[in-house]
Amino acid sequence: MTSSIVFDHLSFSYQNTIAPALQDVSGEMTRGSFTMVMGHSGAGKSTLCCAINGLVPRFLRGDYAGRVMAEGLEAGKISVPDMARTVGIVLQDFEAQLFSTNVELEMAFGLENQCLPRAIMEERINAYLRVVGLEELLRRDTATLSGGQKQRLAIGSVLAMETPVLVMDEPTTDIDPEGRYHILSLIRRLKTGERTLVVTDLDAEAAVQADQIWLLKEGRLSAKGTPAEILTDASLIESCGIRPLATVALFQGMSWPGQPLTVEAAAADIENRRLCPRRPESRVISALTPGKVILETRNLSYRYPTGAVNALNDIDLTIHEGDFVAMLGQNGSGKTTLAKHFNGLLKSTTGDMLVRGRPVNNYRRHELAKEVGYVFQNPDHQIFAPTVREEVAFGPRILGMDRKTQEGNIAEALDATGLSGFEDKNPFLLNRGERQRVAVASILAVKPAVIILDEPTTGLDYVHQRDTMEMLKRLNRIGHTIIVITHAMWIAEAYARRSILMKEGRILLDGPTSAVFSDEAMLAKAALAPSDLIRLRNRLGLAAMTLDDMIKELRGENILA
Amino acid sequence: MNLTFYNDEATWLHRLDPRTKLCSVLLIFVICLCFNHPLFMAVILTGVLFIFTTAKSIKVLWKIRFLLVLLFVFSVVLWPFFIKGKTILFQWHGLEISSESLLYGFAMGLRLMTFVSTGLLLLATTKNEEITNGLIRLGIPYPVAFALATAIRLAPTFADAGATIVQAQVSRGLDLDSKNIFSRFKRFAPLAIPIFISAMRYTNFLAMALESKGFRPDAPRTSYYEPQITGRDGLVLGSLTIILAACLYLRLSLHWGIIISGRL
Repeated sequence: MTSSIVFDHLSFSYQNTIAPALQDVSGEMTRGSFTMVMGHSGAGKSTLCCAINGLVPRFLRGDYAGRVMAEGLEAGKISVPDMARTVGIVLQDFEAQLFSTNVELEMAFGLENQCLPRAIMEERINAYLRVVGLEELLRRDTATLSGGQKQRLAIGSVLAMETPVLVMDEPTTDIDPEGRYHILSLIRRLKTGERTLVVTDLDAEAAVQADQIWLLKEGRLSAKGTPAEILTDASLIESCGIRPLATVALFQGMSWPGQPLTVEAAAADIENRRLCPRRPESRVISALTPGKVILETRNLSYRYPTGAVNALNDIDLTIHEGDFVAMLGQNGSGKTTLAKHFNGLLKSTTGDMLVRGRPVNNYRRHELAKEVGYVFQNPDHQIFAPTVREEVAFGPRILGMDRKTQEGNIAEALDATGLSGFEDKNPFLLNRGERQRVAVASILAVKPAVIILDEPTTGLDYVHQRDTMEMLKRLNRIGHTIIVITHAMWIAEAYARRSILMKEGRILLDGPTSAVFSDEAMLAKAALAPSDLIRLRNRLGLAAMTLDDMIKELRGENILA
Repeated sequence: MNLTFYNDEATWLHRLDPRTKLCSVLLIFVICLCFNHPLFMAVILTGVLFIFTTAKSIKVLWKIRFLLVLLFVFSVVLWPFFIKGKTILFQWHGLEISSESLLYGFAMGLRLMTFVSTGLLLLATTKNEEITNGLIRLGIPYPVAFALATAIRLAPTFADAGATIVQAQVSRGLDLDSKNIFSRFKRFAPLAIPIFISAMRYTNFLAMALESKGFRPDAPRTSYYEPQITGRDGLVLGSLTIILAACLYLRLSLHWGIIISGRL
């Protein structure tokens, strides 16, 4: 077994930062192996990826010590474009790396740089488009592809360059579950080749198929080993900011023998060893206790000005005060379009949108901002002020609140989001999780009755995801109605009381989350699947929706207590 | 919002060599400068619109109808105040409007519309990569050609980001309909700063991605779409040159198509 990539005491800190991004990382990846690099956000995963093709330190500058060898070439000594013949890299932001105007030309871009003749380019383009499953879309404008298709194109265009090393930095982040499934199965197929694969991901479920897992923690390589060694150590991976595998956590929690990595293995273990008695199919699923109606749509349809078909069809929906709602569905299913009607950003083509029984068109902009707050997916689309305090003060100030109310609201908002003490910091220098919280705080400071959050956990690691959701739970408890649009199933399962399942502009299913997630067939219709934990719950016929509750239920304790 | 103008069809215009199309655009621009009579300008615009229909791209023109109408109206309204003519139609406190100046305004409006439509015709029938390719083959240095093509490529991306940013700030209570000048200034920062910063992030990231795929602006590279000069290209350039020569003859020797002499 020859080594393909060698890290030799690599340390790096970015310009103008104090904390090092990588500290003394050493290790080898063998040729043809698949290594999954995992860790909390800010652990150094992206830096590690960029060090393999020399972007660190040649493009992203800073203090660099040690060395990285890829297929015998020393990265950092050779220019990035020259390294590109050996190392292909798919960067984290797949939107920004698509440069060409159609699929075919995007695939050709790297090959043109290699000065290949046209005939070979054509051959490779066709071959690799088949690998990533986009052969039908040869001439499509890249801007019209879905997120998952864009990511597969980004991967395909790098694959076509036939580099012996392929690095992918979080290829499944920001992609809907169906897209994620396609990419994970693509990675599984690529694994069989001669290529050395390096992939980073935040999710343990994606790491099961790797040969090796490297765990990064605060820039240091804290552990490496096979999935069976690493993923079975729930406390280790949790300490690195990764959500442990549900199967392992449940077996450890119940003190059952065995450490299954997949739901299928876990179910087989339970069956074979008769670990738990078969339950009667009569789960008690708690009903919702609705408050006053706050948002209501009546027969609402919407068509985008340039659209050929309706983005929303005859939506009849009521949201009640105090609800905690998850909106689920693929990209393009209409979740965001519907949510943008709730605060009047979009006006229905036909049908009505009512806020507290009053048509949304009868509200003035500032009145509506006090009723319905909307946190956009990317906090960088709204942050503009030089300090956190000024950023959060923008809403209250522009809505004309008096000074005393402003200050009170700002303090409360910062407190609720755990940002007290950040008042004078520059929001642009905070990490993604903190910026997300600034965005929430800036909406919260207006004290809207309803808070809508579009993908609030994208790009956050498990710890930050949990912090964000715990914060929303607190806000819900003090009376805010929370609506979360999300692709992360475990977030809906663990936090939302009600789930709305959407497909092709219609509501497919709407009910208590525990009931919605019991209906795997219906979820499959929307191209969704529950998390491993809930799949196991459904197989065991349990009612609980969280790990702790499942353990209690299996032990015969009362969940509600 | 979709600001990409390329219209994927397979018409004769799409198949022309990008060099031919770039040169033709210049030729049409010069032809536009030959006359300042609205009737003559209308004939030229009609010709351009006819080419649009043969390129199956009228719907692209439809996307910018507001811009075209705006250019025309502004021109017709404003030019008469700056040009003097013989036949006075209307006089008021030293301001005078003549029929010549009014017609000149019409002509200039039509000329602006023709300019914009011709440029759009190029974008509607030529891929970004082909424009880059054409510019390079015409002797433009690669970095310049690449920068130009990148600018065209990124405009829709930034417009998209801009639209999202406007929605995000409006959701926070930003009132874009307010008429007050002072508040107009105040609402500039919440929009401009995020747009600027996201553009910076995006371009920086794009540069990383391009280098990682082996791109360098000074190195030779092959091109997947290899345009070929055919007889058709010669025919187009030849016809346009003859039309230009005819127009110059009409204007300079026969003095046709002039509303106000001594002006372009």
